[in-house]
Amino acid sequence: MTETQIGGVLLVTTLLVLFSGVPIAWGLTVVAIAFLLIFEGFGSLDAVALIMLDELASFALLTIPLFVLLGASIGATAAGRDIYESFYRLLYRVPGGLVIANIFACGVFSAICGSSPATAAAIGKVGVPEMLRRGVSRELATGSVCAGGTLGILIPPSVTLILYGLATETSIGRLFLAGVIPGILLVLLFAAYAWLASILENRERASTSAVPLPDVHFTTGEKIAGLAKAGPFLLILIAVGFFMYGGFATPSEVAAIAAVLGLGLVIVIYNTWRARDLWRIYSDTVRESTMILMIIAAAALYSYMLSRLYITQTAAEALVSLHMNRWVLMAAINVFLLVAGCFLPPVAIILMCMPVLTPVLEANNFDLIWFAIIMTVNLEIGLITPPVGLNLFVLRGVAPDIPIGVILRGSMPFVIIMLLFMVLMSVFPEIVTWLPDKVMGPGR
Amino acid sequence: MQGFVRAADRLAVTCAVLAGALLTTAALLITWLVIWRSLGNSAYWELEAAIYMMVAACFLGSPYCLMTKGHVGVDLLTTYLPSAWARRFHLFVVWLGLAVCLYLAWKGWLLTHETFVKMERTGSIWNPRKWPLYATMPVGMLLTALQYVAELFRTTNTNASVGHQ
Repeated sequence: MTETQIGGVLLVTTLLVLFSGVPIAWGLTVVAIAFLLIFEGFGSLDAVALIMLDELASFALLTIPLFVLLGASIGATAAGRDIYESFYRLLYRVPGGLVIANIFACGVFSAICGSSPATAAAIGKVGVPEMLRRGVSRELATGSVCAGGTLGILIPPSVTLILYGLATETSIGRLFLAGVIPGILLVLLFAAYAWLASILENRERASTSAVPLPDVHFTTGEKIAGLAKAGPFLLILIAVGFFMYGGFATPSEVAAIAAVLGLGLVIVIYNTWRARDLWRIYSDTVRESTMILMIIAAAALYSYMLSRLYITQTAAEALVSLHMNRWVLMAAINVFLLVAGCFLPPVAIILMCMPVLTPVLEANNFDLIWFAIIMTVNLEIGLITPPVGLNLFVLRGVAPDIPIGVILRGSMPFVIIMLLFMVLMSVFPEIVTWLPDKVMGPGR
Repeated sequence: MQGFVRAADRLAVTCAVLAGALLTTAALLITWLVIWRSLGNSAYWELEAAIYMMVAACFLGSPYCLMTKGHVGVDLLTTYLPSAWARRFHLFVVWLGLAVCLYLAWKGWLLTHETFVKMERTGSIWNPRKWPLYATMPVGMLLTALQYVAELFRTTNTNASVGHQ
């Protein structure tokens, strides 16, 4: 069999095994072991444990469980509610202020937590019922949180960007900076859409609805009190920025400091020092960290198999030798990622695709930092599209009465905004590269 | 049988508590290292110790992750199967997971044994032995396999009660 044929069989087998419901980590391990055994014999399996353990025993990987610990600490408390409330008190007079407050709260929460489903859950469980109570349509209420939640993996710290950095050997500090401006712009675009959609909804309601909505008013004192509650979490943002870009600590060290600070803050502010409260934080941390780290270990074995069977090299060479126009190639890669994103979580896609894509991107002179953000926005879309959109499941948990079709309808305008935003970043790559170049100097 | 399932679950929770404690210790250790270093002192063992703790936490957390369905899987094929076939298929998936965990536990044990006999060290300034790091793999994978056996009992029980109805 040629490498191309083996690659084809491998692709089909991997998809079949992964779609069987077996945990992704074990699925990748089974496929890797089976292909090594069939094509390279028993001897190739000697290093299985060593490959997985060596991959895990890396200093850079420490960032993942530590940022997960930070996210779980904040997520297990009422911090999401407080951040959301502080924005609502400021924006309640603006048309769609409630929806915009939700989107802003998602943006801020994303900046302290690196996970999208966690962001959607934390903001959604308070935001969605409140929006529905205040007359926002079910589509806009769920769609805004579903899409806003996806910002978790774009705005730093982001577990997805850390993994991308590890897979492509690009600077995690630079990747984090690259996510800042696109993250803020996407928040503003989402908010602009929410504003427009709310004006239209209000107009429609005024002409049809007979039930007046309850009137709300906040005094300046209440607004300041709201901000004061959300304020301490800015401390974490400042600490992350100060230590990472002030040259005091590496990303892993910053993750540790942020985790300790986050845990300390929630213990002091929300009194989460009881065993039951702490267990909520730790059970989430252990579950999510183990899941991601196991996939990383298994993906290392899978990459080893790909490389040993010469599939990575053959696939990369085949893609390069097509001599496609680089933007046609970029579009093709993005269509592939969009389809893959509908079925697999971002963690698995990055670890499985980047070994093949990195040489192809480099051969076509694409900036790997720029591509990281394009890929992240692309994978964000996968989080809100069926059948495996993690944020959809989170929203189902938050609002079980709302059918998935309504959530999807509400999310579609945000998906279109994200797609247009990817085009915008392709036309103006400086949106991504300006800040990292400015802070850390040009180059990788 | 129920006693075994309860014991396996309790063991998984205990390991998760231990994993959480290890991660917190790692976070505190690194924070202390940054402060210590900023005071002009040198540090040499803290980072490596934190890595050991993270790897141990990962493997020790695995059975709890399985128990609480935290190991993400894409359950696409079973949704298109008739319910009787879907149940059989789920059982097959559990057996497959059990086999993978036992295999990795075995491979991990071989590696641990080899590094223990050869007294291998990491080669860093601290230079700790490698085997305690490697030993977390067979221990964690064996415990995950145990949790899979509990899962098998649970699945069989559910199937039996469904069949009975």
